[in-house]
Amino acid sequence: MTGDTSPITESDLLAYADGLLDDDRRTEIERHLADNPVLAEDVGHWRRQNETLRELYGHVARETVPARLSAHRMAHRVKAETNRNWRMAAAAVLLVTAGAVSGWFGRDMMAAGSLADSSMISEALAAHSLYTREVLHPVEVRGDQEAHLAAWLSKRLDRPLVIPDLRDEGLTLVGGRLLPANGGAAAQFMYEDDGGRRVTLYVVPTQNGKETSLRYVAAGALESFAWTEATLGCALVGDLPKERLQEIAVRAYRQLS
Amino acid sequence: MSQFLDQVEDCVPALRRYARALTHNADLADDLVQDCLERAIRKSSLWRPTGPLRAWLFRMLLNIHRNELRHRRRAPDTMPMTDLVAEPQVQSASPGRLALAETARAMQELPADQREALLLIAVEGFSYADAAAVLDIPVGTLMSRLGRARATLRSLTEEGGPKLRTMK
Repeated sequence: MTGDTSPITESDLLAYADGLLDDDRRTEIERHLADNPVLAEDVGHWRRQNETLRELYGHVARETVPARLSAHRMAHRVKAETNRNWRMAAAAVLLVTAGAVSGWFGRDMMAAGSLADSSMISEALAAHSLYTREVLHPVEVRGDQEAHLAAWLSKRLDRPLVIPDLRDEGLTLVGGRLLPANGGAAAQFMYEDDGGRRVTLYVVPTQNGKETSLRYVAAGALESFAWTEATLGCALVGDLPKERLQEIAVRAYRQLS
Repeated sequence: MSQFLDQVEDCVPALRRYARALTHNADLADDLVQDCLERAIRKSSLWRPTGPLRAWLFRMLLNIHRNELRHRRRAPDTMPMTDLVAEPQVQSASPGRLALAETARAMQELPADQREALLLIAVEGFSYADAAAVLDIPVGTLMSRLGRARATLRSLTEEGGPKLRTMK
């Protein structure tokens, strides 16, 4: 192009050795290396490093992939597992209703470890029903003190919490509150749309750290989408069409993960 | 979904190669890939990455690997070093064999961040931009990391000079 070449840096030389330069720059570097045997030796060495590393590890990619690493097989298993969780959660919701009548029986079933997720959803549904109909005191800390709310609940749940911003979904933050859960603490965030319809997000610390996909549970008029992240279990509850609630859940999930 | 799974499956050989090079242990490496794929499949029910799938998968694999290293550091390391060094397959007694074994050993001694970066470029053939995205660092940082990695590797493999020449 023109004679004014930009100074040659180590990055240029690395890119030259890795074959990641365009033609013009490559020609310039070649000219430069011809006059600088020490640099040319470095570049030659880097290229031999690349060859050696490829020789050292390249064969792994040519091995037959073990069956346990088949993505299709794994997807099949994950789907089966999700369906099973869904059925357990649905059963748990029935048990909550039954538990109101039959006392300890339902509670005992809920205590089973395999139902931990289902128990989270039940708690989320119960907290939603209890507080969304509150007119005077729906929350402990109001949404206009969002920073304080986040700091307070992060401290009580002992992990950094992000309060999802759902304004793009037409939902403003009403506020949040602290709730008891399994001898520890949980948090509830409440949101409201223009029509005054309320959606709550229930967040509880988890220890097992197993991530799950989104699960859907319907309980009467209420519906919930729940998921588990590395350190948090979350359940979004509302009385909205399923697709709409899922959209909100995905948006919350992305901000929390 | 099926197309997404096909694309994921196409990345598996390279993921296994990277995992093996990071761990120098075939079983640990495949466990790592399995965790990575499972997480990818669970996440895919919610959203798909907008960028290249390959970089997304590598980034996830690396995060799991780093997490596991953090956990293992607390517990005593149960892996015998001899296994690690002997693991990569080398050709039988050829002149290059010594160089390969030496490089394998040197890769083990390389600081983790340098090893992660160098393998993405030298073995996996990522562009600098994609490798920087996998490592979640700016391209400038990647370049200086690669420069350090190459210098360290060289001083560790150079004849008669197994000592570090530069440590910046």
